[in-house]
Amino acid sequence: MISRKPHVIGKPFPLIEAQKKLTGKTCYAGDESVGPDMLHARILFSERPSARFRLQNLEAAREFPGVIALLTAQDINGPVGRTIADRELLASERVRYVGQPLAIVAAETPEAAAAALKQIQVDYEEEPAVLSIAEALAKNAPVVHPNYREYPGAEHLNATPEHNIAHELSFARGDVEQAFAKADIVLERSYSAAHLQHAPMETHGGVAQQQPDGSIVMWMHVQAPFLQRSIISKALHLPPEKVRIITGCVGGSFGGKVFVSIEGLLAAIALHVGGRPVRLLLNREEEFKGVFMAPAMQARLKMAATKEGRITAIQATYDWDVGASVDAALFHLQAVILAGTGPYAIPNVKIQTRAIYTNLLPAAPLRGVGIAQVHWAIEQHVDELADMLNMNPLNMRQWNLVKGGDQLFPNFVMHANGLESCGLQVVKAIDWQPTAPPPAPAPNNTPTSPSYTGSGRGMAIGWSPILLSDQCGSSVTIQLDAENLCNVIVDGVDIGQGLYAFATQLISFELNIPTEWITVEPTDTANFDPHWEASYHNLLWSTGHALLKATAELKHQILAYVAKAWKEPPTNLDIVEGEVISYATRRKYPLLTLLEQGMDDDAPPPAFSVTSTYRPPNVNDSIDSQLQSFAATAYAAEVQVDERTGALKILQLAAAADVGHALNPESVKAQIKGGMIQSVSFTLLEAMLFENGVPLSVNFMDYPIATTADMPQQLHPIVVEVPQQSGPYGARDLSHHVQVGAAPAIANAIYRAVGVRIRDLPITPQRIYDAIQKKRNAEDHNS
Amino acid sequence: MNHDIELIVNGEHRTLTVASQQTLLDVLREDLALTSVKHGCSTGECGACSVLLDGEVVNSCMVLAVEADGTEILTAEGLASEEELHPLQKSFIDHHGVQCGYCASGMLISAKALLNRTSRPHEEEIREALVGNLCRCGAYADIIKSIQVASRARR
Repeated sequence: MISRKPHVIGKPFPLIEAQKKLTGKTCYAGDESVGPDMLHARILFSERPSARFRLQNLEAAREFPGVIALLTAQDINGPVGRTIADRELLASERVRYVGQPLAIVAAETPEAAAAALKQIQVDYEEEPAVLSIAEALAKNAPVVHPNYREYPGAEHLNATPEHNIAHELSFARGDVEQAFAKADIVLERSYSAAHLQHAPMETHGGVAQQQPDGSIVMWMHVQAPFLQRSIISKALHLPPEKVRIITGCVGGSFGGKVFVSIEGLLAAIALHVGGRPVRLLLNREEEFKGVFMAPAMQARLKMAATKEGRITAIQATYDWDVGASVDAALFHLQAVILAGTGPYAIPNVKIQTRAIYTNLLPAAPLRGVGIAQVHWAIEQHVDELADMLNMNPLNMRQWNLVKGGDQLFPNFVMHANGLESCGLQVVKAIDWQPTAPPPAPAPNNTPTSPSYTGSGRGMAIGWSPILLSDQCGSSVTIQLDAENLCNVIVDGVDIGQGLYAFATQLISFELNIPTEWITVEPTDTANFDPHWEASYHNLLWSTGHALLKATAELKHQILAYVAKAWKEPPTNLDIVEGEVISYATRRKYPLLTLLEQGMDDDAPPPAFSVTSTYRPPNVNDSIDSQLQSFAATAYAAEVQVDERTGALKILQLAAAADVGHALNPESVKAQIKGGMIQSVSFTLLEAMLFENGVPLSVNFMDYPIATTADMPQQLHPIVVEVPQQSGPYGARDLSHHVQVGAAPAIANAIYRAVGVRIRDLPITPQRIYDAIQKKRNAEDHNS
Repeated sequence: MNHDIELIVNGEHRTLTVASQQTLLDVLREDLALTSVKHGCSTGECGACSVLLDGEVVNSCMVLAVEADGTEILTAEGLASEEELHPLQKSFIDHHGVQCGYCASGMLISAKALLNRTSRPHEEEIREALVGNLCRCGAYADIIKSIQVASRARR
């Protein structure tokens, strides 16, 4: 028997860039080594949410010592967008949010660039602004985009721009009205979630330089270089191949470095400085106020159930404040409508999700793409229904979960899944046996805690749709030669999730060669044709399939080469532990010798190279045509609440995620743990605050993110593996779904601790305190 | 106004001419090309620019270069010897103490300072030592584990 070693799939494998990252050898934004002729760019941002404006004193800025170029909308203007171009490179005539770029300057030094912008006087003629969903939907509200219908791509969307509705999706089955009329219980509630920031530690930045042939090369740190190339080239009226993006390391993205924000401006100014390289690097305040944020949610939810606990109907509206641009948030809406019932098989459904324009910073998807917020509503709602019915919250969920074989959408039947397994495992991890009815929330229900604290446990189960758009193709190139051994180029970007480690594992396994031979190069758009964007949220799927194709073809080439020399049929041959062998004649030939010396003194040693492409599926306009699968998660939390102050302590947090097959188990656990901490941060700490449309949260003091001090005392990451039949080795992508369920599990635990439900995110001590006071006042009033 | 300062950076003696308003962060990155020291916030909130100054952790964005005159500086570049990675670096690799990696150098520096003080810190001490180093990937649990394992290996 010949064993297939090295077997690296499913075994711990370090992230291959880790060593470079830990010795300071990686290139992040601001680290690009550029010659002394480099220029520094800086952007002038709007300071009003809604106004007509004029830029005065531009000549003084242009003539300021050290200034090479200054651009306003007079010099470059183009609509920017992927699906709908509802943004401008630089604002012309009107500003629609604080932080909108008005001008960009390039100068010899960062100081000169900043001083030049100070010369410019902006005269604003303020106009009424809409600063919330309610204001935007009010009768006779000011219209954020009066010329919406003229925007390229507007025809693709379902908008009512005169009421600030940028796009709307809905789904219905059965008859909710009849179900509500017949139900034993009906529960209706509102929930909300705040605007969030991606807040990567690395701010946006990069370097661009025009080449002698007129094309632009950009050294960027972005999550989706092909998508960016497509958007930037369109905005600048260049053919895509004239914009080349070479990616460096990405210091955190979480969705914020997918769509074009400031990158288009950097490319634009590079066209006006005579071929000199230009660097743009945002400072922290600019990162907070001038890029993107995740949309805020307002949800209205109504559910019906029988007294036995069967959920019979759901009617839901999920409204999203997408700020002044919907383009980057369209994927978000699509995911929301597919996940909008929560992971439950409900016969009567009427759900609607709308993107609402306001005069705030544009929205972009954040890890969890709204699914986390949808579950914030649903998973508290189901918990409350269970309480009303005196049911065990775990059993209530189990009875209603979607099951394999359920026809969920016209063209989608649910597959085998880990929903129930995730739910059972998280509860077990925190050593909880949920009961019905829940123990009466009362202080002092743990013997060791002082009498003013209450403690409780809660759970949530969630699902997250995995979508395959017509843009999610992927191309990879694998080269095998004596000099570089195995050199690999993939079109996806490793943002710390371990994509390159996965590529190394896959190639090592498929070609049966040592992992040490394999080098994965950072992505460069010049390597592939600009046909699609390279998916960014299901790279394991698309890149995985492209790599499987490429390795099969490469192996075929190698075996054919050796077979010819040995005069044997290639089907006799295989590669085992770095050697080509013949099962028939027992001959062996080391692959390394083949690459270094060839097989024949007369012929030069061979080099092999294969480029393979995974082609995305055909999609149509139906709601489920891009739906590939649902990923399952569950969370359970144990919390302690100080009733005097509302202070919350998370004693234990368990998260389970179904990843199909954990190809790199420790890396999967690391991703789950990271998602848990980030979820705690989103749930307890984060909210983007505004005053009259001006962002107040523009640093880490005013927009705190979780530190080691905010960590739960115990974390229980759980890997669940229900194979995804069509995925590489049965695996599925893990990114969004680890964010789903933390917030409602914590809220449900708070309810069991102190008897109050918090329905607005984030859960702050103030909100808990206020809710406790309100409950006490109501109780006093009744007694 | 310019000033001449002397530093020992990662064991090497350096003489530099710096402007009054230049921060230690700027000098390390721009003049000495030590790019492991990261810009994160410029206001001392994130710890991405942490370095050791005479053995103590400082946010180098909050220290003027002239203030650092005559001190000894250690950055992440100075942790590994030519032959070998520092045990902390090895442990961060083995225990997934790095995701996107932007905070990694600052984390290593804070960890180094902790281990200089306490050879075998408890988990609570590690959490406390890292509280000024933000990691948006939320890799704290694995960073803490990496430091714990490294501290045990050192003994």
